Amino acid sequence: MEILVLSLFLNGIGLGLVYAAVAIGFSLVLGVSGVINFSHGIMYALGAYFFWVLQGKIGFWPSVVLTPLLVAMIGFAIERILVRRVYGQDPLFGLVITLGFAMAIEELIRMIFGPAAYSVSAPSFAKGVLIFGNFVYPVYRLFISVVAAAMLAALWILVEKTNFGAVVKAGMFNPEMVGALGNNLTFLRTSVFVIGAALAGLSGIIAAPVWGIKSQMGTLILMPSFVIVLMGGLGSIPGTILGGILVGVSTSLATLIIPRFVDIIPYLMMGFIIYFRPRGIFGEQNIVE
Amino acid sequence: MKKIFKDPYLWIFLVFLCYPLYPYLGDYISLGTELLIWFIFTLSFNLCLGYTGLPSFGHGAFYGLGAYGTALTFLHLYNKDGFFAPVILGAVIGSLFAGLVGYFIRNKKGVYFAMLTVAFTQVLYFICWRWDEVTGGEAGLKGIVRSSFLGIDMKDPYNFYYFVFMLFALSALVIRRIADSPFGRSLLAIKQNPIRAESLSYNTGFYKFAVYMISGFFAGLGGGLYCFLTQSAFASVLDWTKSGDVVIATLLGGGTVSFYGPIVGSLIFVVAQELLSAFWEHWMLLYGLSFVIIILALPTGLMGILKKK
Repeated sequence: MEILVLSLFLNGIGLGLVYAAVAIGFSLVLGVSGVINFSHGIMYALGAYFFWVLQGKIGFWPSVVLTPLLVAMIGFAIERILVRRVYGQDPLFGLVITLGFAMAIEELIRMIFGPAAYSVSAPSFAKGVLIFGNFVYPVYRLFISVVAAAMLAALWILVEKTNFGAVVKAGMFNPEMVGALGNNLTFLRTSVFVIGAALAGLSGIIAAPVWGIKSQMGTLILMPSFVIVLMGGLGSIPGTILGGILVGVSTSLATLIIPRFVDIIPYLMMGFIIYFRPRGIFGEQNIVE
Repeated sequence: MKKIFKDPYLWIFLVFLCYPLYPYLGDYISLGTELLIWFIFTLSFNLCLGYTGLPSFGHGAFYGLGAYGTALTFLHLYNKDGFFAPVILGAVIGSLFAGLVGYFIRNKKGVYFAMLTVAFTQVLYFICWRWDEVTGGEAGLKGIVRSSFLGIDMKDPYNFYYFVFMLFALSALVIRRIADSPFGRSLLAIKQNPIRAESLSYNTGFYKFAVYMISGFFAGLGGGLYCFLTQSAFASVLDWTKSGDVVIATLLGGGTVSFYGPIVGSLIFVVAQELLSAFWEHWMLLYGLSFVIIILALPTGLMGILKKK
């Protein structure tokens, strides 16, 4: 029993860190641009699919490098062509425009690859299991936790320790003032969008061997991101990590006790948290209020 | 007299009064019924979006709850006999839930408001999806029969069409009356400038809560009628894409600039959806792209173009 709980707990941590790595992009875009980006999940799906296709053609390491770049380029194109036009308008406009784009891409994936789900094998260096006494755990699951944590750490350094990060944080608080002080607000919003897309794409790559790939995967990751952002606080990296781990661990452990209602637990936790802290655990005043 | 003939309401009334007589279209009577249900639904939604400026992305929840409420009251309380009462009860349940949501989020603004409505809808969706004992889970609720209402046999699709038509005509009148009343004017004031409305001592939170309840009632009514139209209730009516559909239908017609926008929008939206899905397996591709094009090319909708001229 303890062994089962421990491995579910570790699964939950891994899942939570991947959720957090996806959610942080969603959160930063929402904070800096005020757009509820429903196409964010599709970046995660595109990452997984691009990697899956490229891996067979050009090998493992080249595709690890190339996939996030491709996804980032798509993110750049979406921001330039579509999302930019709805800045400052009714929030439903941004929501509907990104939702429509996500639906179209999801259908495109279904057109090319069919509705079936595919499994992806883990890279050879992370195959096998770890054995501690009678506790057995797959290496790859630890590997994704480490990679997701590294991605989040890199982003944290970028936001907290660089000039660019200072402008991002200020942009969430008062974008007009940031623009008036001579910072290029357009560039800021584009780059945050592209960084978020690249992170989601990378998360798609590392998640694919564990949860498989299917056309709806982008839509399915969207709602956890949503909950995590509301729970942890908009634009807060520690909040997103904490929210991700809470969601990941609670859903993972809940499969033991109440398997049927696993999907509702994150929402109940979110409701509880925002009842007491309306801006989320680490939330501060920001432009969307 | 001239004024009455200029009233679009009269023309919409007449056009749909004669619907079963039209060549070709008249054979698709359930499409006509679905259109009328959509009109009720989008008109109710437009009270929130067009009149109060609330970016609600959770109206599918009230619609779906209306459908489930109707199905459950029919199956458990009225057992094959009731017809009108379950529909009204479904609407009341939709309204009460809308009141609950509205109470919690009445003072939230913009993006935050939209996100919370999505979250509420998701909770409801998962409850209906998983709570097999009550909602039937994935299999949904079946065995709903249209019996008779005031001695008229509702199994006949034409009779049912006219029943829905009467309810639509009534709802549209009531919604228009609300929109034109002092209450509706206050809602417009809140939409245009919430801070000024507040300093003029309007309790904006209460107005938002009230309009949410009213809107939830009519959305629930639409859901209840839809439940009787399909004679079933599935969790798919609560899916968030449903909330997206109502937003896009309203924006397409131009709900933000005209009371009749939602009717125009849902007419085109529903017919286009039927045609597309019949002809192409991957119609979702065009469907998604149409969302993008409508927002970019027609931000004020079709009525916006008409009004400019």
